[in-house]
Amino acid sequence: MIQLKKIEKVYRTDTVETQALNCIDLNVAKGEFLSIMGPSGCGKSTLLNIMGLLDAPSGGQVTIAGSDTLHLRDKQLAHFRNQRIGFIFQSYHLINDLRVLDNVELPLLYRKSTAKERRELAGEALGKVGLGNRMKHFPTQLSGGQKQRVAIARAIVGRPSIILADEPTGNLDSAMGNEVMDILLRLNKEDGTTIVMVTHDEQMARKTHRLVRLFDGAQVQ
Amino acid sequence: MLQHLLTLIWNKKRQHFLLFLELFVSFLVLFAVFTMLVYNYGNLRTPRGFEYRRVLSVTASLQVPEGASKDSLTQLSEQLKRSLRNMPGVAAVSYVSSNSPYTLSSSSDNLSYDNISVQAESYWADDDFAKTLQAELLRGRWYNKQDVAATRRPVVINEKLAEKFFGAADPVGRVLSGNRQIVGVVRNLKDKGDYAEMIPGIYQRIDSGFQDKFLIKLTAGAAPSTESQIYKTIMHHLPGSSTEIEKLEDKRVVKNRLALVPVVLMLVISGFLVLNVALGIYGVVWYSVNKRRGELGLRKAVGATAGGITRQIVGEALVLTSLPLLLGIILAVQFPLLHLFDLPATTYIAAILLAAVFLYVLVSFCALYPGRQAAKIYPAVALHED
Ligand SMILES: Nc1ncnc2c1ncn2[C@@H]1O[C@H](COP(=O)(O)OP(=O)(O)OP(=O)(O)O)[C@@H](O)[C@H]1O
Ligand SMILES: [Mg+2]
Repeated sequence: MIQLKKIEKVYRTDTVETQALNCIDLNVAKGEFLSIMGPSGCGKSTLLNIMGLLDAPSGGQVTIAGSDTLHLRDKQLAHFRNQRIGFIFQSYHLINDLRVLDNVELPLLYRKSTAKERRELAGEALGKVGLGNRMKHFPTQLSGGQKQRVAIARAIVGRPSIILADEPTGNLDSAMGNEVMDILLRLNKEDGTTIVMVTHDEQMARKTHRLVRLFDGAQVQ
Repeated sequence: MLQHLLTLIWNKKRQHFLLFLELFVSFLVLFAVFTMLVYNYGNLRTPRGFEYRRVLSVTASLQVPEGASKDSLTQLSEQLKRSLRNMPGVAAVSYVSSNSPYTLSSSSDNLSYDNISVQAESYWADDDFAKTLQAELLRGRWYNKQDVAATRRPVVINEKLAEKFFGAADPVGRVLSGNRQIVGVVRNLKDKGDYAEMIPGIYQRIDSGFQDKFLIKLTAGAAPSTESQIYKTIMHHLPGSSTEIEKLEDKRVVKNRLALVPVVLMLVISGFLVLNVALGIYGVVWYSVNKRRGELGLRKAVGATAGGITRQIVGEALVLTSLPLLLGIILAVQFPLLHLFDLPATTYIAAILLAAVFLYVLVSFCALYPGRQAAKIYPAVALHED
């Protein structure tokens, strides 16, 4: 499903040059649930961003569902992100000025859909994460765990074939973390969604099919 | 998407209050400016109704000797007119009152007919007035010597006055207050400048007394020396008079300039205001884009294209403009509804449309650059910063 070949990522600022990723080769199979671990700053988020086409690598090749993404133009990239990829971010990234339901609808806004369809799909996705009764709330009125679940609902509302989750349980207590993990496991099992998850938690990682460890931008296992 | 933008802006209404107020006030100022422009432009486009080229406007003031009889003064003026008319290069001569074309003076008279009362510009002019200015008679005729015998004073009224009193009916033969009988209807003369509004007017016959103001129409082939010859002729008949000869063409230019002074002044002032508002909107949009980098990055992450982001930023600014605009329009339509000033409703409607379009264009223009910048946001970078 996702093929990374010789991925390099260098961040250049005026004064420093950071090699965030160094020659990463990684294949994620269709329907696989992969977790990535590694110390802080080793390049996990960077790798996930590159897989999700949120960032371009400095070198190497990213192939998603058989298409080489290197030469995609802005419109095609947007289409790809919208149709195939659901992103769950380390810090939720909900829009505080929008109600929960409107937040979840967001990806659908960028495809052909009617308001009614959007309501229905968003409601359904919120149901799946157990937040059917919080649709009219604003994100600031929610707990951390609830916010993360809204973010999951937003990631799954468009029925993407790939979900990229960046420490989805990082800010949650273990009970809440387990709940979120269960949702992801169910998505993987029932819908066959390919999931790549970054985590710091060995326990969580053990529940997934495969574990990849990064150190200083390189794959160590 | 529109609904989405409305929701977004509605949820942020408190932050936008000041901008709302600014846009509301700007609309009203723009409405005032465009009303003035439309009004002046509309006046400019109405036909002048007379020919000002090759017409001299002459004032010949004379200290009339005490004890001089009226008849002798009448004769003096008649002789002067006859001499002038017989000069080579002169096509027509007409005595007029001091509110002749492109002067600064005006004289109004309250006229009534059949319980309708109208404030009209009151002119005095002699029998050759229409000929001198090539004014077109729409009905009846200009007054002449034969009217001396009539018991009623002959008058000619303009279209505007005819319309006020009689609508579409024929005014010729009707008698106005002051025992004045209408003998003709003349096309409106736009004699107060090209930007002036047409007002009701009445022309009354000059038939006696000393006249110090007249118009002289020159022939097409009049020699350049004609003007000085005219001066000599006047001085011959009215020795010791102070005589001033001006071209109507020149007087028109001056009069038009005077009319444009307030317009230009208002344009300059409102120009500064518009500049201020534009910078304000630009600043607000710029600030909002920078504050919302995370949100915009997220939108790109979930499938917004660069164009989509720009459209959103510009669209938001336009939606934001619409509410104060709507309130402004509601206020502005009160002007024609309540007849606050005596302007036609079409002037107001045109001004409302122009002001609305102008404001929308201005806002789009101000939001476009920040919107373009926003479109360049890299999702990974923007989300990283948050
Ligand atoms: N936009 C950026 N500009 C410059 N350097 C960056 C940028 N983003 C990341 N880096 C650098 O790249 C390296 C990898 O960052 P990344 O965010 O991928 O780490 P991470 O493994 O996700 O860490 P954490 O577990 O703390 O989230 C870090 O050294 C970081 O400083
Ligand atoms: Mg990270």
